[in-house]
Amino acid sequence: MPSMPVGLSRDLPPKRVMRASVGGQDIVVWRASNGDIAAWDNRCPHRGMALSHGFVRGNALACLYHGWHYEQSGRCSYIPAHPDLDPPATIHTTRFGVTERDGVIWVDTTDTAKPGMLTEPLDPLRSLIAEVSEAAVEAACHSTPFEGEMPQPSGSGLYALGTIRLALLTNPLGPNRTQVTVLTSPGLSLQTRLALSRWCETLRRNAEATGTGGA
Amino acid sequence: MSHFTLYTYVLSASCYKVRLMAALLGVPYDSVAVNFYPGFEHRSEAMLALNPWGTLPILRAGDLVLTETQAMLGWLATNHDPTGRWYPAADPALGPQVLQWLGLAARLTGSAGLARLHAILDWPVDGEAVRKAALKDLQELELLLTDRVLAGQTWLVGDHPTIADIACFPHAALSPDAGLEHDGFPAIRNWLYAVRSLPGFVTMPGIHELHELREREPADPQ
Repeated sequence: MPSMPVGLSRDLPPKRVMRASVGGQDIVVWRASNGDIAAWDNRCPHRGMALSHGFVRGNALACLYHGWHYEQSGRCSYIPAHPDLDPPATIHTTRFGVTERDGVIWVDTTDTAKPGMLTEPLDPLRSLIAEVSEAAVEAACHSTPFEGEMPQPSGSGLYALGTIRLALLTNPLGPNRTQVTVLTSPGLSLQTRLALSRWCETLRRNAEATGTGGA
Repeated sequence: MSHFTLYTYVLSASCYKVRLMAALLGVPYDSVAVNFYPGFEHRSEAMLALNPWGTLPILRAGDLVLTETQAMLGWLATNHDPTGRWYPAADPALGPQVLQWLGLAARLTGSAGLARLHAILDWPVDGEAVRKAALKDLQELELLLTDRVLAGQTWLVGDHPTIADIACFPHAALSPDAGLEHDGFPAIRNWLYAVRSLPGFVTMPGIHELHELREREPADPQ
C-alpha cells in the first residue's frame, strides 16, 4: 500500500485529533501541542476504544475511556487509575508512517510515508468524500468544466483548468467511497478559490450521478 | 433570579439549543422536564393547552409563550445580550445572514434531526430518505463553512459567534447518532470544536465537554 493523502494539514491544528482510513485500516491522526503529528491504529491497547474519540494533553494523546496517555512514540506514559505507576514499555500503540508536504497529510500503513510527488508548488483547497469509486471520481474530473473550460489532464493527477493548475489526489475508502483532496495553483484570489470549492461539489455530484454509487 | 421557564426533554437537540444559548449568556431559568419519549407527554391535553403545535421546547416568560426554537434564541439574545453581538439584528449585512442561517437550522431539524430520531427512538419516518436528506444538508453546511475557512473566518456570520451558530450546532454535532460521521467534513469538525470551546459551554448526551481545555499534566494529579 503506497502512502495515501488523508486530509489537509490546515484541518488538523495543534492539540487536535481526527479519524482517517487507508486500505481499510482505521487510523487516528493527531497533532501534539508542539505541532508534531502521529498516525496510529485507531484502537486503545487497553480496551480497544477508538482513540479518535480521545483528546490531546500536552504532547500525549489520552483515550476518552480510561484516560490512558500515549506519547508520540506510541508508548503509554500515564495511567490515571495508577498515578504512581511507570507504565511498562510493552504497552504501546501500533504506529504508522505519517508525513506532511504541500499542506497534505500522508499516511502509510506498511512503511515510512512518502508523499506523492507534485512536480510544482500547489496550495491545498479542500478535502471531501464522494460516495463513488476512485475511477468514477477521476472520470468525472475529465468531464466537469470550470468556467467553461474542460480540465485537461497533464499526468499524475494534475489538470489544467484554463490558466489554473489543479491536483486531484484520491484515497479509496471502499468500492464506492473515495476521499478526494484538491490542490490548486498558489496565489489565487479568494473569489476564485470559492468558485473552485463549488466546482468540487459539482465534481462530486457528477461522479455520484454517473458512477456506480448513483446507479 | 429565574428569567424564564423552559419545558424540555433531555435527548432533544432543539431543547438543547435553548439550554446552550442560556448558559452562554449566563441567563438563569427554571426547567420543567417533559416525558417526550416514551410518554408523549408533549401531546397531552395540559401541554397542548400551552402549545397547540404539540412540540418541544416551549419557553414561557410571563405572558409570552414561544414554541419555535430559533425564536427562543432570538428572544434570549435580544433580551439578555447587552453587547448585541449574538444577534446583530439591526446590522444590514449581518442581520439577514443570521436569519438565513436560522432557516437553514430549521432544515437541519427536518433532515438530520429526523434521521437521529429515527435512529435512536425508531421514529416512524422513512429512515433511508431522511438520512439521505441529512447527508445532503451536511454537505451544504460543509461547503458554506469551507467558504468561511478560506476567508479566514471561524463563525457562520461575522467575526463573533451568533445565534446562527447555536441554531445549527446541535444537529450537526449529533449526526453520528444517525450514522452520519464527520470524517468527510473537516470544516464542520473544526467549527463544532470552536463552539465547544466557548466559555460557559454546556453538554447534552452525545455532545461531551472538551477535556483538553482542563489542562492537567500527569505530573500534577488532582
